[in-house]
Amino acid sequence: MVFQMDELDETQLKNHVDSLKQQLQFNREKTSVAIPELAKWIEEKMNEDPFLNPDVLKDNPWVESSKCVII
Amino acid sequence: MGEMEQMKKEAEALKTQIEAARKAAHDTDMASAASGVAPAPRVQLKTRRTLKGHLAKIYAMHWCTDNRLMVSASQDGKLLIWDSHTGNKVNAVPLKSSWVMTCAYAPSGNLVASGGLDNMCTVYNLKTPVIKTVKELDAHTGYLSCARFLSDTEILTSSGDTTCALWDLETGKQKTVFLNHVGDCMCLSLSPDMNSFVSGACDSLAKLWDIRDGQCKQTFQGHTSDINAISFYPSANAIITGSDDCTCKMYDIRADQEVICYQDAALNSGVTSLDLSASGRLIFAGYDDFNCNIWDSLKGEKVGELKEKKKSLSWREC
Repeated sequence: MVFQMDELDETQLKNHVDSLKQQLQFNREKTSVAIPELAKWIEEKMNEDPFLNPDVLKDNPWVESSKCVII
Repeated sequence: MGEMEQMKKEAEALKTQIEAARKAAHDTDMASAASGVAPAPRVQLKTRRTLKGHLAKIYAMHWCTDNRLMVSASQDGKLLIWDSHTGNKVNAVPLKSSWVMTCAYAPSGNLVASGGLDNMCTVYNLKTPVIKTVKELDAHTGYLSCARFLSDTEILTSSGDTTCALWDLETGKQKTVFLNHVGDCMCLSLSPDMNSFVSGACDSLAKLWDIRDGQCKQTFQGHTSDINAISFYPSANAIITGSDDCTCKMYDIRADQEVICYQDAALNSGVTSLDLSASGRLIFAGYDDFNCNIWDSLKGEKVGELKEKKKSLSWREC
Protein backbone atom coordinates (compact mmCIF):
# COMPACT_ATOMS: atom_id res chain seq x y z
CA MET A 1 0.00 0.00 0.00
CA VAL A 2 1.46 3.34 -1.02
CA PHE A 3 0.48 6.42 0.99
CA GLN A 4 -2.85 7.98 -0.08
CA MET A 5 -3.79 11.47 1.12
CA ASP A 6 -7.52 10.85 0.55
CA GLU A 7 -7.63 8.65 3.65
CA LEU A 8 -6.68 11.46 6.04
CA ASP A 9 -9.20 13.52 8.03
CA GLU A 10 -8.87 17.29 8.49
CA THR A 11 -6.65 17.18 11.57
CA GLN A 12 -4.39 14.51 10.07
CA LEU A 13 -4.13 16.52 6.86
CA LYS A 14 -3.13 19.67 8.75
CA ASN A 15 -0.50 17.72 10.67
CA HIS A 16 0.70 16.22 7.38
CA VAL A 17 1.13 19.69 5.84
CA ASP A 18 2.91 21.03 8.95
CA SER A 19 5.25 18.04 8.98
CA LEU A 20 6.07 18.49 5.28
CA LYS A 21 6.91 22.16 5.94
CA GLN A 22 9.31 21.04 8.68
CA GLN A 23 10.85 18.32 6.53
CA LEU A 24 11.39 20.73 3.64
CA GLN A 25 13.65 22.80 5.92
CA PHE A 26 16.16 19.94 6.29
CA ASN A 27 19.62 21.02 5.17
CA ARG A 28 20.48 18.45 2.52
CA GLU A 29 24.14 17.55 1.98
CA LYS A 30 25.29 16.96 -1.60
CA THR A 31 25.67 13.28 -2.51
CA SER A 32 29.16 14.06 -3.85
CA VAL A 33 30.11 14.76 -0.22
CA ALA A 34 27.86 12.33 1.68
CA ILE A 35 28.41 9.16 -0.35
CA PRO A 36 32.22 9.20 -0.53
CA GLU A 37 32.35 9.86 3.22
CA LEU A 38 30.04 6.92 3.85
CA ALA A 39 32.12 4.68 1.57
CA LYS A 40 35.32 5.80 3.33
CA TRP A 41 33.84 5.01 6.77
CA ILE A 42 32.87 1.52 5.60
CA GLU A 43 36.25 0.82 4.01
CA GLU A 44 38.08 1.86 7.17
CA LYS A 45 35.91 -0.43 9.30
CA MET A 46 36.37 -3.42 7.01
CA ASN A 47 39.60 -4.29 8.84
CA GLU A 48 37.57 -5.01 11.97
CA ASP A 49 34.82 -6.90 10.15
CA PRO A 50 35.10 -10.66 10.80
CA PHE A 51 33.39 -11.47 7.52
CA LEU A 52 35.95 -9.49 5.54
CA ASN A 53 39.18 -9.82 7.50
CA PRO A 54 40.16 -13.46 8.10
CA ASP A 55 42.58 -12.39 10.85
CA VAL A 56 39.70 -11.12 12.97
CA LEU A 57 37.90 -14.41 12.43
CA LYS A 58 40.74 -16.27 14.15
CA ASP A 59 39.15 -15.18 17.42
CA ASN A 60 35.87 -16.90 16.55
CA PRO A 61 34.03 -17.90 19.75
CA TRP A 62 31.80 -20.35 17.91
CA VAL A 63 34.54 -22.58 16.57
CA GLU A 64 35.45 -25.55 18.77
CA SER A 65 38.92 -24.74 20.11
CA SER A 66 39.91 -28.38 20.38
CA LYS A 67 38.20 -31.72 20.11
CA CYS A 68 40.21 -33.65 22.67
CA VAL A 69 41.23 -32.80 26.20
CA ILE A 70 44.19 -34.46 27.87
CA ILE A 71 43.23 -35.55 31.39
CA MET B 1 -12.09 25.57 -2.88
CA GLY B 2 -12.74 23.61 0.31
CA GLU B 3 -10.15 23.69 3.10
CA MET B 4 -9.32 20.01 2.63
CA GLU B 5 -8.71 20.55 -1.08
CA GLN B 6 -6.50 23.54 -0.33
CA MET B 7 -4.43 21.56 2.16
CA LYS B 8 -4.04 18.69 -0.29
CA LYS B 9 -2.77 21.12 -2.91
CA GLU B 10 -0.36 22.61 -0.38
CA ALA B 11 0.89 19.14 0.56
CA GLU B 12 1.49 18.27 -3.10
CA ALA B 13 3.38 21.52 -3.63
CA LEU B 14 5.57 20.86 -0.58
CA LYS B 15 6.34 17.33 -1.79
CA THR B 16 7.36 18.70 -5.16
CA GLN B 17 9.66 21.19 -3.45
CA ILE B 18 11.21 18.42 -1.32
CA GLU B 19 11.84 16.32 -4.44
CA ALA B 20 13.44 19.32 -6.13
CA ALA B 21 15.69 19.87 -3.11
CA ARG B 22 16.75 16.21 -3.22
CA LYS B 23 17.50 16.42 -6.93
CA ALA B 24 19.58 19.53 -6.35
CA ALA B 25 21.64 17.60 -3.79
CA HIS B 26 22.05 14.63 -6.15
CA ASP B 27 25.27 15.47 -7.97
CA THR B 28 26.62 11.90 -7.97
CA ASP B 29 25.33 8.39 -7.36
CA MET B 30 26.68 5.35 -5.50
CA ALA B 31 27.85 3.64 -8.70
CA SER B 32 30.14 6.57 -9.58
CA ALA B 33 31.23 7.28 -6.02
CA ALA B 34 32.10 3.62 -5.34
CA SER B 35 33.61 2.90 -8.77
CA GLY B 36 37.13 2.89 -7.33
CA VAL B 37 36.25 0.48 -4.53
CA ALA B 38 37.30 -3.15 -4.93
CA PRO B 39 34.34 -5.55 -4.93
CA ALA B 40 33.73 -7.46 -1.70
CA PRO B 41 34.86 -11.11 -1.81
CA ARG B 42 32.32 -13.91 -2.07
CA VAL B 43 31.05 -14.86 1.39
CA GLN B 44 30.67 -18.48 2.43
CA LEU B 45 28.68 -18.97 5.60
CA LYS B 46 29.22 -21.90 7.92
CA THR B 47 26.55 -23.01 10.34
CA ARG B 48 28.14 -23.05 13.78
CA ARG B 49 25.16 -23.73 16.00
CA THR B 50 21.64 -24.93 15.52
CA LEU B 51 19.55 -23.91 18.49
CA LYS B 52 16.77 -26.39 18.94
CA GLY B 53 14.04 -26.02 21.51
CA HIS B 54 11.15 -24.07 20.13
CA LEU B 55 8.06 -26.04 19.14
CA ALA B 56 6.51 -23.60 16.70
CA LYS B 57 7.45 -20.82 14.31
CA ILE B 58 10.12 -18.46 15.60
CA TYR B 59 9.12 -14.87 14.88
CA ALA B 60 11.99 -12.86 16.26
CA MET B 61 15.33 -12.86 17.99
CA HIS B 62 17.63 -10.26 19.47
CA TRP B 63 21.24 -10.35 20.66
CA CYS B 64 22.31 -9.18 24.09
CA THR B 65 25.08 -6.54 24.03
CA ASP B 66 27.56 -9.17 25.28
CA ASN B 67 27.30 -10.81 21.82
CA ARG B 68 26.86 -14.13 23.54
CA LEU B 69 23.35 -14.34 24.98
CA MET B 70 20.29 -13.94 22.80
CA VAL B 71 16.52 -14.08 23.18
CA SER B 72 14.14 -15.73 20.72
CA ALA B 73 10.35 -15.61 20.57
CA SER B 74 8.11 -18.33 19.25
CA GLN B 75 4.40 -18.83 18.79
CA ASP B 76 4.78 -21.89 21.00
CA GLY B 77 4.25 -19.24 23.70
CA LYS B 78 7.79 -18.95 24.97
CA LEU B 79 10.78 -16.67 25.03
CA LEU B 80 14.00 -18.63 25.21
CA ILE B 81 17.30 -17.13 26.35
CA TRP B 82 20.25 -18.93 24.77
CA ASP B 83 23.98 -18.99 25.41
CA SER B 84 25.13 -19.02 21.79
CA HIS B 85 28.64 -20.19 22.68
CA THR B 86 27.52 -23.42 24.36
CA GLY B 87 24.17 -23.72 22.58
CA ASN B 88 22.44 -24.15 25.94
CA LYS B 89 19.15 -22.62 27.00
CA VAL B 90 19.69 -20.31 29.95
CA ASN B 91 16.08 -19.30 30.64
CA ALA B 92 12.55 -19.94 29.43
CA VAL B 93 9.88 -17.28 29.86
CA PRO B 94 6.28 -18.44 29.41
CA LEU B 95 4.14 -15.86 27.62
CA LYS B 96 0.54 -14.95 28.53
CA SER B 97 -0.21 -14.59 24.85
CA SER B 98 1.43 -16.95 22.39
CA TRP B 99 0.84 -14.61 19.43
CA VAL B 100 4.23 -13.02 19.81
CA MET B 101 5.80 -10.99 16.98
CA THR B 102 8.82 -9.36 18.57
CA CYS B 103 11.32 -9.65 21.39
CA ALA B 104 14.13 -7.48 22.71
CA TYR B 105 17.09 -7.68 25.08
CA ALA B 106 17.93 -4.64 27.21
CA PRO B 107 21.50 -3.30 26.81
CA SER B 108 22.13 -4.06 30.50
CA GLY B 109 21.15 -7.72 30.06
CA ASN B 110 18.72 -7.39 32.99
CA LEU B 111 15.45 -7.22 31.07
CA VAL B 112 13.76 -8.72 28.03
CA ALA B 113 10.52 -7.68 26.35
CA SER B 114 7.98 -9.29 24.05
CA GLY B 115 4.75 -8.36 22.31
CA GLY B 116 2.48 -9.19 19.41
CA LEU B 117 -1.22 -9.59 18.69
CA ASP B 118 -2.05 -8.85 22.33
CA ASN B 119 -1.23 -5.18 21.45
CA MET B 120 0.98 -5.03 24.55
CA CYS B 121 4.65 -4.91 25.30
CA THR B 122 5.50 -7.06 28.34
CA VAL B 123 8.79 -6.51 30.13
CA TYR B 124 10.44 -9.25 32.22
CA ASN B 125 13.27 -9.09 34.76
CA LEU B 126 15.74 -11.92 34.21
CA LYS B 127 17.75 -11.20 37.32
CA THR B 128 15.20 -11.83 40.06
CA PRO B 129 15.41 -15.37 41.57
CA VAL B 130 12.30 -16.27 39.56
CA ILE B 131 11.75 -14.36 36.28
CA LYS B 132 9.13 -11.70 36.95
CA THR B 133 6.89 -9.62 34.73
CA VAL B 134 7.84 -6.04 35.64
CA LYS B 135 5.44 -4.14 33.37
CA GLU B 136 2.68 -4.67 30.85
CA LEU B 137 2.74 -1.66 28.52
CA ASP B 138 -0.82 -1.33 27.36
CA ALA B 139 -1.90 1.59 25.18
CA HIS B 140 -1.36 0.60 21.57
CA THR B 141 -4.56 -0.16 19.68
CA GLY B 142 -2.83 -2.45 17.22
CA TYR B 143 -0.33 -5.31 17.28
CA LEU B 144 3.18 -4.81 18.58
CA SER B 145 5.56 -5.30 15.65
CA CYS B 146 8.86 -4.30 17.26
CA ALA B 147 10.34 -3.20 20.59
CA ARG B 148 13.80 -1.87 21.49
CA PHE B 149 15.16 -0.88 24.92
CA LEU B 150 17.06 2.38 25.26
CA SER B 151 17.92 1.48 28.88
CA ASP B 152 16.34 -0.30 31.85
CA THR B 153 13.93 2.65 32.16
CA GLU B 154 12.89 3.39 28.57
CA ILE B 155 11.66 1.31 25.66
CA LEU B 156 10.56 2.15 22.10
CA THR B 157 7.77 0.26 20.37
CA SER B 158 6.25 0.19 16.88
CA SER B 159 2.68 -0.92 16.26
CA GLY B 160 0.08 -1.95 13.73
CA ASP B 161 -1.93 1.07 14.98
CA THR B 162 0.49 3.18 12.79
CA THR B 163 2.24 4.76 15.77
CA CYS B 164 5.54 4.30 17.55
CA ALA B 165 5.88 5.13 21.23
CA LEU B 166 8.52 5.81 23.86
CA TRP B 167 7.57 4.37 27.25
CA ASP B 168 8.70 5.09 30.79
CA LEU B 169 9.26 1.70 32.38
CA GLU B 170 8.90 3.03 35.91
CA THR B 171 5.37 4.39 35.36
CA GLY B 172 4.38 2.06 32.53
CA LYS B 173 3.07 5.05 30.57
CA GLN B 174 3.83 6.43 27.11
CA LYS B 175 6.16 9.47 27.31
CA THR B 176 6.01 10.27 23.61
CA VAL B 177 3.86 9.05 20.73
CA PHE B 178 5.31 9.32 17.24
CA LEU B 179 2.54 10.14 14.77
CA ASN B 180 3.09 10.43 11.04
CA HIS B 181 2.82 7.02 9.37
CA VAL B 182 -0.49 6.12 7.75
CA GLY B 183 0.15 2.39 7.56
CA ASP B 184 1.00 -0.28 10.15
CA CYS B 185 4.49 0.29 11.56
CA MET B 186 6.42 -2.91 11.01
CA CYS B 187 9.94 -2.27 12.26
CA LEU B 188 12.24 0.18 13.98
CA SER B 189 15.95 0.73 14.50
CA LEU B 190 17.67 2.94 17.09
CA SER B 191 20.52 5.23 16.09
CA PRO B 192 23.87 4.35 17.73
CA ASP B 193 23.70 7.54 19.87
CA MET B 194 20.06 6.76 20.83
CA ASN B 195 18.87 10.30 20.04
CA SER B 196 16.87 9.18 17.03
CA PHE B 197 15.32 6.14 15.43
CA VAL B 198 13.94 5.08 12.07
CA SER B 199 10.71 3.23 11.44
CA GLY B 200 9.41 1.33 8.42
CA ALA B 201 5.71 0.91 7.69
CA CYS B 202 3.05 -0.52 5.39
CA ASP B 203 2.70 2.93 3.79
CA SER B 204 6.01 2.01 2.06
CA LEU B 205 7.79 4.88 3.81
CA ALA B 206 10.69 4.95 6.26
CA LYS B 207 10.78 7.85 8.72
CA LEU B 208 13.53 9.29 10.89
CA TRP B 209 12.38 10.60 14.27
CA ASP B 210 13.90 12.72 17.03
CA ILE B 211 13.28 10.67 20.19
CA ARG B 212 13.17 13.67 22.51
CA ASP B 213 10.90 16.09 20.63
CA GLY B 214 8.77 13.38 18.99
CA GLN B 215 8.97 14.94 15.53
CA CYS B 216 9.38 13.20 12.20
CA LYS B 217 12.52 14.83 10.77
CA GLN B 218 12.80 13.03 7.45
CA THR B 219 10.75 10.72 5.25
CA PHE B 220 12.38 8.25 2.86
CA GLN B 221 10.31 7.10 -0.08
CA GLY B 222 10.95 4.81 -3.02
CA HIS B 223 9.62 1.45 -1.92
CA THR B 224 6.38 0.34 -3.53
CA SER B 225 5.20 -1.95 -0.75
CA ASP B 226 5.40 -2.61 3.00
CA ILE B 227 8.77 -2.06 4.63
CA ASN B 228 9.29 -5.10 6.87
CA ALA B 229 12.85 -4.54 8.05
CA ILE B 230 15.04 -1.55 8.74
CA SER B 231 18.48 -0.92 10.17
CA PHE B 232 20.63 2.08 10.99
CA TYR B 233 24.13 1.97 9.62
CA PRO B 234 26.78 1.66 12.35
CA SER B 235 28.13 5.01 11.09
CA ALA B 236 24.67 6.51 11.68
CA ASN B 237 24.71 8.31 8.31
CA ALA B 238 22.62 5.82 6.39
CA ILE B 239 19.81 3.33 6.76
CA ILE B 240 18.94 0.09 4.99
CA THR B 241 15.36 -1.01 4.41
CA GLY B 242 13.85 -4.31 3.23
CA SER B 243 10.42 -4.48 1.62
CA ASP B 244 7.65 -6.67 0.25
CA ASP B 245 8.58 -5.14 -3.12
CA CYS B 246 11.51 -7.64 -3.10
CA THR B 247 14.22 -4.99 -2.81
CA CYS B 248 16.45 -3.51 -0.17
CA LYS B 249 17.44 0.12 -0.36
CA MET B 250 20.10 2.30 1.20
CA TYR B 251 19.07 5.86 2.05
CA ASP B 252 21.72 8.43 2.87
CA ILE B 253 20.48 10.47 5.85
CA ARG B 254 22.51 13.61 5.15
CA ALA B 255 21.50 13.74 1.46
CA ASP B 256 17.93 12.77 2.45
CA GLN B 257 17.50 10.29 -0.41
CA GLU B 258 17.85 6.80 -1.77
CA VAL B 259 21.37 6.15 -3.03
CA ILE B 260 21.26 2.51 -4.11
CA CYS B 261 18.78 -0.33 -4.54
CA TYR B 262 19.61 -3.99 -3.99
CA GLN B 263 17.57 -6.01 -6.41
CA ASP B 264 17.70 -8.80 -8.91
CA ALA B 265 15.21 -9.74 -11.64
CA ALA B 266 15.33 -13.32 -10.41
CA LEU B 267 14.18 -12.31 -6.93
CA ASN B 268 10.43 -12.20 -6.60
CA SER B 269 9.98 -12.69 -2.86
CA GLY B 270 9.55 -9.99 -0.26
CA VAL B 271 12.34 -9.14 2.17
CA THR B 272 11.34 -10.11 5.71
CA SER B 273 14.43 -9.25 7.73
CA LEU B 274 17.92 -7.79 7.40
CA ASP B 275 21.10 -6.94 9.26
CA LEU B 276 24.55 -5.52 8.52
CA SER B 277 28.04 -6.83 9.09
CA ALA B 278 30.23 -4.90 11.56
CA SER B 279 31.59 -2.51 8.90
CA GLY B 280 28.30 -2.22 7.07
CA ARG B 281 29.91 -3.52 3.88
CA LEU B 282 27.71 -6.62 3.85
CA ILE B 283 23.93 -6.70 4.05
CA PHE B 284 22.30 -9.97 5.09
CA ALA B 285 18.70 -10.03 3.90
CA GLY B 286 16.12 -12.76 4.56
CA TYR B 287 13.40 -13.37 1.99
CA ASP B 288 9.99 -15.01 1.83
CA ASP B 289 11.37 -17.76 -0.42
CA PHE B 290 13.29 -19.19 2.57
CA ASN B 291 16.59 -17.75 1.36
CA CYS B 292 19.06 -15.23 2.71
CA ASN B 293 21.06 -13.15 0.24
CA ILE B 294 24.27 -11.34 1.10
CA TRP B 295 24.79 -8.01 -0.70
CA ASP B 296 27.87 -5.86 -1.16
CA SER B 297 26.41 -2.59 0.12
CA LEU B 298 28.72 -0.37 -1.97
CA LYS B 299 28.57 -2.24 -5.27
CA GLY B 300 24.98 -3.44 -5.12
CA GLU B 301 25.89 -7.01 -6.06
CA LYS B 302 25.07 -10.31 -4.43
CA VAL B 303 28.16 -11.89 -2.89
CA GLY B 304 26.66 -14.93 -1.23
CA GLU B 305 23.58 -16.70 -0.01
CA LEU B 306 22.36 -19.09 2.63
CA LYS B 307 19.73 -21.50 1.43
CA GLU B 308 17.53 -22.65 4.27
CA LYS B 309 15.64 -25.85 3.69
CA LYS B 310 12.42 -25.18 5.49
CA LYS B 311 11.01 -21.93 6.68
CA SER B 312 10.98 -18.27 5.73
CA LEU B 313 13.68 -16.43 7.68
CA SER B 314 12.11 -14.12 10.20
CA TRP B 315 15.23 -12.53 11.62
CA ARG B 316 18.92 -12.42 11.00
CA GLU B 317 21.35 -10.66 13.24
CA CYS B 318 25.07 -10.30 13.03
